[in-house]
Parts: sequence; structure tokens; C-alpha cells
Amino acid sequence: MQSGVTSTTVDRTAKRIGISETEVERRGFKYELGAPVTGAATVGDAVAVGFGDGSLRFFRPGQKPSVQQSHLGVILCMAAYRDVLVTGGDDGRCLKITPNGIMQELADFDTKWVDCVAATQGLVACSSGKNVQLWSAGQSKPLNFVHSSTVGGLSFDARGQRLAVAHYGGVTVWGRTRRKWKSSTFAWKGFHGAVTFSPDGKYLVSAMQENAVHGWRIRDKANLAMSGYPAKVKSFAWAGDTPFLVTSGADEAICWPFDGKNGPMERSPLCIAHNRKQIATCVLALQNEDAVFAGFRDGSVLLAKLDGTVDPIAIRGSSGAEVTAMALSPSKSHLAIGDAKGNVLWAPLGNGVAYARNV
Amino acid sequence: MNQTQQVPVTVLTGFLGAGKTTLLNRILTEQHGRRYAVIVNEFGEEGIDNDLVVDADEEVFEMNNGCICCTVRGDLIRILSGLMKRADQLDAIIVETTGLADPAPVAQTFFVDQDVADRTKLDAIVTVADAVHLNSQLGEHHEAEEQVAFADVVLLNKTDLVDETGLDGVEKRIKKINPYTKIIRTAHCDAPLENILSLDAFSLERVLEVEPDFLDSDHDHEHDDDVTSVSIVSEAPLDLEKFEAWFGKLLQTHGQDILRSKGIIEFLGIDERYVFQGVHMLMDASPMGAWPEGANRNSRMVFIGRNLESMNLKEGFEGCKAA
Repeated sequence: MQSGVTSTTVDRTAKRIGISETEVERRGFKYELGAPVTGAATVGDAVAVGFGDGSLRFFRPGQKPSVQQSHLGVILCMAAYRDVLVTGGDDGRCLKITPNGIMQELADFDTKWVDCVAATQGLVACSSGKNVQLWSAGQSKPLNFVHSSTVGGLSFDARGQRLAVAHYGGVTVWGRTRRKWKSSTFAWKGFHGAVTFSPDGKYLVSAMQENAVHGWRIRDKANLAMSGYPAKVKSFAWAGDTPFLVTSGADEAICWPFDGKNGPMERSPLCIAHNRKQIATCVLALQNEDAVFAGFRDGSVLLAKLDGTVDPIAIRGSSGAEVTAMALSPSKSHLAIGDAKGNVLWAPLGNGVAYARNV
Repeated sequence: MNQTQQVPVTVLTGFLGAGKTTLLNRILTEQHGRRYAVIVNEFGEEGIDNDLVVDADEEVFEMNNGCICCTVRGDLIRILSGLMKRADQLDAIIVETTGLADPAPVAQTFFVDQDVADRTKLDAIVTVADAVHLNSQLGEHHEAEEQVAFADVVLLNKTDLVDETGLDGVEKRIKKINPYTKIIRTAHCDAPLENILSLDAFSLERVLEVEPDFLDSDHDHEHDDDVTSVSIVSEAPLDLEKFEAWFGKLLQTHGQDILRSKGIIEFLGIDERYVFQGVHMLMDASPMGAWPEGANRNSRMVFIGRNLESMNLKEGFEGCKAA
């Protein structure tokens, strides 16, 4: 609905055609868990899946999933590093949880939601409104950073030396110096949500409120505008050695190259895992295999090679509900797929990984 | 979308002390058997304690989409998305705005953000007005005028403190700003909730049911700053291309002054009624089925806003008639 005279279709009923049940689904385990899946992460020897009713489930190959009640309401966000899982909820709490179920409350913001969390070696951060709290190993109290608007995304760089905080008008990067954390601003008009550093730490990328991704080369703050998406970009992942920034928001996975001096500047992205008219809502890299899982609005998931030389294979058929989260088991033998209706597919990959490796 | 139904969202506006909190407390505590989530402003009146109450902070964001007057409520996008992840289905959501807030960014959020539009729908703008103080507030604050201009329903509260003549005067004043709003008189915000919630006032279908007032094009104004309304009727069918050119330009150049617009149009050579409903520059429009048998095929438009007389609305509209 833009300005001017436009016509929109009133009938929005989607047809249940699409991809039928796959071999991977038939060999996997399907769970109908009632509450929307809100996040998934690899943690320790398990995959943690978070739900809209505050429960967490840990999936392990060859075992029944274990359930843990953590938040009193929706688990709004989660992040993991090695065997530490951090979650934030609409109950105002930020929790640190280990895969064997030891839970520690890091913060309680009462009626304010915890919107974003991030974790890396020795560091944990969460945001509630305009505030970011940062816990460092060995420090008893968190630091508190205040920003100009509500925070939309948090991310540490690979070395744990910087924390990116996305908000309205750009991204603030907090860098660790010997004595304290110092901020630097990367400005760009509009609201910035999910944020990430490139694996080499040279680029910063955010998903915007508009249908676009924005990037900066950190050295000189040069802007990289990546637009043209038909829908909002809700998910991104780094994949391959190049590396590529794989993004959702189109009817395929859009992969921007971040090699060379200028990254994706003046270059075209790779477009893989094309899925007719379905919009990708969630992407996940299959590291070391140069392959990507793309989850779509109709619940289907495709696995595609970055070089796009062969047709993608269907991992999950069209379930009818948007794919909201995916995570791999630590050995990459199993994939967890969650959707907005509360369905989880816990699938042994076997052939899928072999496919990604061999083709 | 193949997902769950869209949850209706009611926007509750009104000046401090008008009675919004009384109404919210009723919504949260009355035995109505429905689940309502309420998004309140942290600078609002006294606190309400309930697990279905969410604090918001009225963050207005400019969109980077080339639409100059397009602002949205960023916090609302975030909160509605969070509420949609709940395990239980909500029957409705109520958004309270502070007395001094412009209702436009709230309404525009439902036009601009696709995720919000997929899962929720703007139901109606309800303005709680204090019968004792509304007259003076309208004179002093732009925002009070805007809240009345945007309202689908004005809950005229504290009527027990004003005599009949006074109430008639206040109603007249409201109707002058917004002849199409429904006025409900209450003493303590005690109107039945079904008259306030789930009205579907923003659906295009509702535009088709507009009251006979829709044709009443009488209006006068005292000074330029006043919010007024203009309605236009044409017996002759319009030309689609001419209309699109004129209306598109009108919204682009005067969208800031046009608070709300609605219309049903007959185009030459098109059997279906074309219906639109807009807030500032943004609008929803669609063909909405054939004209009823034997009905007058009038094209009708109504505008509520400022400086409407400078927009040559009648002339522009006349110019769209099919030759």
C-alpha cells in the first residue's frame, strides 16, 4: 500500500500446493508443540529451540527432546556461544541457561521486555528498550549503555572486542579498550534491526525496517546499500569462504559477496534456492560445505549449494506456516526446523549433507 | 496469508484526564470472556497492573521510502510482532496513545509495515473526550483537533457534569471537525464494549455503509488552521486514468494536510465499485464488487483535514469526469 492509487487483492487465502512431504521429513521426527517457535541455537551437545509459551526444548541426536520452562511469557530472543545459552523474554527477564538445564537470571527489567541478546567468549549482552547491559567474565556487575532509541539488534564480533548495537538512525559499535568500552557511530537513516559483523570483522551489516540490508566498511565507514528485496529481511547468515552474506526477504536466498577490497559494492549477489513465489523467512549456513538452508513462508526448506550449479533439494515440504528458526546439531548430523504454528521437525540430514558435500 | 486471522487493533486517543484509564481498566477487568492485550504509554496516567499490559514508549520513526510525511510507530511494530508470538490467541489489542500524540503514525504503521498488516488490522480510532474541557482543549491544542478528526468513535465522557445545552454545543463542535464520527455519550466511560471494540471501521467494506451524512457537504470555517471536512458527489462516472493522475498528485502534494479520506467511485467502463480509505498519503484501495441492483451509481468522496479549500477539490474532481 503505497501512496497514489493502487489496487490490492482482498482475497489472501493461500493455496496449499507447493512442496510435498520429503524423504528427510519421513525419516525425521515431527512435533506439534502448540506455541510458535521463536528461536533456535546450537548449544553444547544440543540444539535449543525456544517457544512463545516460555518453554525451551533441547534436541539431541538419538534422544527424546527435554523440556524446560524458562520464561513466563514469550521467549523473544536467544543467542548461544559454546555451552552457554542466553534468552530474553516478554517477562522482562534475561536468563543464562546451560544445555543440562542450569538456569541463572542475569537481569529482571520487570514490565519491560528483553528484546535482544548476544553472547561470545566471556561476554553476554542483552537489551531492554534503549538500554544495553553487558556482562564480562570476572566482573560482578554489568555495564549499562544507553542509546537514542529502542535497540533492534545486538552482535559481538568474532574476537569479542566489539559489540554492535542497532537502533533508529544507525548502529553504535562499542569497542573494548584497556580501561573501558568506547562508542563509535555508523549512521544511516531509518530503523536498523538485526546486526552482524563479517567473520573477518571488516564489515558491519544491519537489516532495516525497509526492505533492505545496510552495510558499512568499518575502516572508513563507507556505505553499502543492498536493496531491491520484495519483503523485509528477517534473517541472515555468513556462508562459505568468500564469505557470502546470505539473506532472506526474497523468493530465493540472496547472497552478497564480501571478499576483496570493496565487498559487494557495485557487484551483483548470487541468487540460490529459488522457490517459486514463496518468500524466504529464515536462512542458515551449512559451514564447510558451501551450502545454505533456506526456509520459506509456506514452511518449506531448501538446501542449495552456493555455486548454484545444481538444483536445490527439498528438506521440508510446505507445512503451511512460516519457518521462524533453524539450527544444526554440533556435528551437523541433524537439523531442527521450527515454524510459526509451533511445529518442529528434527531431521537427520544424512543424504542432505552428503548431497551438499558431493555435488 | 495462510496463517491465523488478523487480530483487530483499536487505537485509543484522548487528552489526559478524559477517562482513557477508566476505559482500559474496564476492558481488562470486566467479565467479557475475551482476551485483550493493552499497549499503554509509560507516561500515561496511573499504572495498570495486568500481565496483558505492555509498556510502550511512542517512538515515531520516519520511513526511508520517499514518502515525505510517512512516519510510523517503531515501538508498535516491535510490540505487535512480540504479541503475535504468544501461545494464546488474542481477541483484540488496544493501543493507548498519550494526550499530546498525533494519531497518524499509529494508523500509518498498519499501512506501511507488511508484517504488521499480515497479522493485525487497524480496527478503529476511538477518542475519549472530556465533555467539560473539550471546547477549550480544541482551541488550545492541534492534537485535540487531530484526535477528533481521526476518530471513528468519539466517546464523549463526563456527560453528567455538563447540562444538555452544553452537550449539544460540544457535539456540534465535534461534528464540525468530523461529521462522520459516531458520538457516544457516557458518564464514566460506561458504554458497552461492543460499541467501542471490533468495529472494523478501517475495512473497505465499511466505507460502503457510510451514513447519509456522507452526502452532506455543508461546511464553514473560521480560520485556516481549523480541521474541516469536504464531501463531493458526482452523478457522472469518472475516467480512471484522469482520476489516478489527479488523486495521486493530490495525496503527494497535500497528503500532510489531508488527515483522512474515503470514497466510492464509479469509473466509466468498470462494473465494480472502486473503494478507497486513506490516512495522509497512504491509502488502501480496491474494487469491491458490483453496484447493488437499482442503486444510485454516485461517486462519493470525503476529506477531513486542514486547508482543504486551497486544494480545489471540487474542481479537481470535476475534471476527472469521463468525457
